[in-house]
Amino acid sequence: MAANPDVADRDSQAYLPDFCAARTSFFAVLLAELVAIAISLASEGFGDTFLVELSKTSLFLLWYVLLAAALLCRLRGWLERLGQRRAFVAGFVLLQSLSIVLAEASFLLTSRFGVSLVISHSHLNFLLSIFVISAIINSLTMRYLYVSSEWRRSILLEAQARISALQALIRPHFLFNSMNTIAALTRSDPARAEEAVEDLADLLRANLRASSDRASIASEIEIAQLYERIEKLRLGDRLRVDWQLTDLPASAAVPGLTLQPLLENAIYHGIEGLPDGGTVTVAGRMDGPYLELRISNPMSSEQIQRSDGHGMALANIQQRLELAYGSRASVTVDQQADNFSVCLRFPANESA
Amino acid sequence: MKLLIVDDEQPARDRLRRLIDEAAGFEVAGEASNGAEAIEMVSALHPDVILLDIRMPGIQGIEVAHHLNHLEAPPAIIFTTAFDEYAMDAFDAQAIGYLLKPVRRERLLRALQQAARLSPEQLGALAANARVGQRRQHLCARQQDNLTLIPVEDVYYFVADQKYVRVCHRRGEHLVDESLKSLEQEFADRFVRIHRNALVAAAQVAAIEKNADGHAQVRLRDNAADTKSRLRISRRHLAQVKDRLIGG
Repeated sequence: MAANPDVADRDSQAYLPDFCAARTSFFAVLLAELVAIAISLASEGFGDTFLVELSKTSLFLLWYVLLAAALLCRLRGWLERLGQRRAFVAGFVLLQSLSIVLAEASFLLTSRFGVSLVISHSHLNFLLSIFVISAIINSLTMRYLYVSSEWRRSILLEAQARISALQALIRPHFLFNSMNTIAALTRSDPARAEEAVEDLADLLRANLRASSDRASIASEIEIAQLYERIEKLRLGDRLRVDWQLTDLPASAAVPGLTLQPLLENAIYHGIEGLPDGGTVTVAGRMDGPYLELRISNPMSSEQIQRSDGHGMALANIQQRLELAYGSRASVTVDQQADNFSVCLRFPANESA
Repeated sequence: MKLLIVDDEQPARDRLRRLIDEAAGFEVAGEASNGAEAIEMVSALHPDVILLDIRMPGIQGIEVAHHLNHLEAPPAIIFTTAFDEYAMDAFDAQAIGYLLKPVRRERLLRALQQAARLSPEQLGALAANARVGQRRQHLCARQQDNLTLIPVEDVYYFVADQKYVRVCHRRGEHLVDESLKSLEQEFADRFVRIHRNALVAAAQVAAIEKNADGHAQVRLRDNAADTKSRLRISRRHLAQVKDRLIGG
């Protein structure tokens, strides 16, 4: 896996487990046997006929499970392309169809060869009971796979958020320029140099500690303002930040590591390219239960031509919002001739 | 030795100035905070050495260096940068030094001493060897020892005029010391060759028309034509020009 990052990457982002893998098939067989035992026990108890019942049920279920695994193995690529929810729904439909086909086949086979002992029900009754039993078990299994895929995805995104925040922070450009500023200030203005070192330490600490769990908007703003102070030493009057956040409840919960990366983008891709600098506007407001954050910055035409974009940090924030709030969150990017703005909208005050 | 410090960040300039002031034999003649200012100040102050930040708003350090290399007596160029990703470009620009910020005193002095040892002839030879590693955003016109920057996007057309190329642009006309051929190659996406001696900005062409003699010519857009002139399209280039401008 390590030798082939593509595969590793694809697997960690896949929704469905790889049914072609021996490990997954083994667990599928194990599940089938457990279900077979449960069904046999329920109908026969530990009587004389238990083992007979178990072997018949196992036969049917093993066929079913192995065919299902083969089917999902073949169709995995197609299912993954459907997107998460649809992949699971389609998987469920596939499995249900397979159960009906298999039930019908076994009914026909048994009645043909006169082994009517095996199935004591009428045709329709038999199909229906198989359908319902498999629906229950399939939906439980799919739900389990869905939840665990969500869980894996959230871990992955959190890790990415940490990495990208750290990378941004130790973005060589920022780190070395900050150190250069501090080196300059140590003689000319020792008090400010001291302050800058403190700010840099706090910023590093906040980024090392932060997880993508919810943070209060107040602490997010504080981190972003630390960052602003450091950049301001370097850029002087060229950097102006207009904070319009008066009406926000301080306790409103937001996903952590959201505001500072966006401010950094605005400065790195926007302000720094302008000889006379400009004003980054950070505006926040409540719209009913929704919190809206808008970060906008001027940009030079050269930067837009280079189409720097705001890249990784933005994509990561978008994914995390989507994961946390589903369709109730949105990220809107607005690129004008000389202005770039990002608007985040999500329900505030929800505990995860 | 006269030095010019170019950096868009005040603290960075302050620190370099302090380090240089503490060393004997060097004098900071001026400070510039962006590329355009740097080019102006080089023309005005004729420094021997320029300490040039690479990542700046507007014209970046590497491009500034390429323009300075067109001077008769170019200064020795020492780049300063916070991040070591431009070394190849700096090398192509024939910089004599490449310092990482925060700059160490010893390294700065060593680079300055190295610059001091170079004669103007050696510097001129270095400049002549510089290659343009990236596409420029400005052209540089030289009049005696003054450099004028012309944004490429402002250029209407180039006409080869014996030894020089005449650039007609939004704010007038200048001569540049480059060949039409190299301009055509560098800015192929923007300019079209319409004649052995002329390139025209595709975006500035209003129409292709015929004059009284039946020769094809280019009429420029109104804003581009304080010059009322029409530019002749040679027969050899006509098909190609039509392809490009009318889109087949």
